[in-house]
Amino acid sequence: MTSSHDPQLLKGVLSLLLLHLLAEQESYGYEVAQRLQAAGFADVLEGTVYPALARLEREGRLATRLVASSSGPARKYYRLTEAGYEALAAGAAGWSRHVAGVDAVLSRPLSAAPQKGS
Amino acid sequence: MPNTVSWYDRLRVEWVVWSLDQRLYDLPSRTRIAHRREVRANLLTAAAEVGVGEALRRVGSARELAAQYRDAEFGEGPRHSWLAAALFALTTPLVLNFFLSEAANAYEQALTATGTHADGNYTWGGVTWLQSPLTFSLHQGQATHVGGAYTPLTYVLLVGGAIACGRLWRALPRRRSPRPTPSANGLAG
Repeated sequence: MTSSHDPQLLKGVLSLLLLHLLAEQESYGYEVAQRLQAAGFADVLEGTVYPALARLEREGRLATRLVASSSGPARKYYRLTEAGYEALAAGAAGWSRHVAGVDAVLSRPLSAAPQKGS
Repeated sequence: MPNTVSWYDRLRVEWVVWSLDQRLYDLPSRTRIAHRREVRANLLTAAAEVGVGEALRRVGSARELAAQYRDAEFGEGPRHSWLAAALFALTTPLVLNFFLSEAANAYEQALTATGTHADGNYTWGGVTWLQSPLTFSLHQGQATHVGGAYTPLTYVLLVGGAIACGRLWRALPRRRSPRPTPSANGLAG
């Protein structure tokens, strides 16, 4: 996976990615960002991830708890709520349909490549 | 490689957290405090891992981060601004008082400039629509005056201006964008 992604495309799927990562494992904000970057989304900065987590929490898809940290202030851990799991399932199904639709178009053979200057 | 977070690094983190906090003034205080604490904790963790410079670069500017937090809270699109309304409500009377005072002083100087020292009371209607009439008392070349209060129309204009400047009608709950319900369509980050 490349380190550069279409920002608009990424904006559309960031919440889905976050929900999936948090469904895998409860995490705090910085850790989620690190896991996202480790998954190949190196251009997704923390400044984008934190507000996205706040939005998901406000929408009731994430629940939080504070966990004391030996290295600094208490960390806010996020985990999925029931609504979060439902949103993840719906979002994943929607993404699959989207990918299938795009693939169906892109897999059609092109009649001929356009000639330069024609 | 773990980095040592010095006091200077902490100060840099606190500066960003403070800058963010100042820009989140219209969020509920509980939410604002929670965001502040979370960003501080994450920044300190990141600073210990990658250095404070890289940690701050990756979190971006406080202005953009605050804008995204406000979008997360209120939804995207135009919003009201209590700050703009307060700025108008506080500065406009100051400017208005200055000009009304200058106008009254001009009238007073016109009365005393003749040098005839004609004692008595003189009434000036004031700036039309904006203030009540002023009465000047001239006694042995010295002038004092009373009156010149704001008219009700002036107060209406001040309130109206503050509402217009802050777009405060957007603060009405019924005018706010509805929060998205959990669904596949509402997953955009």
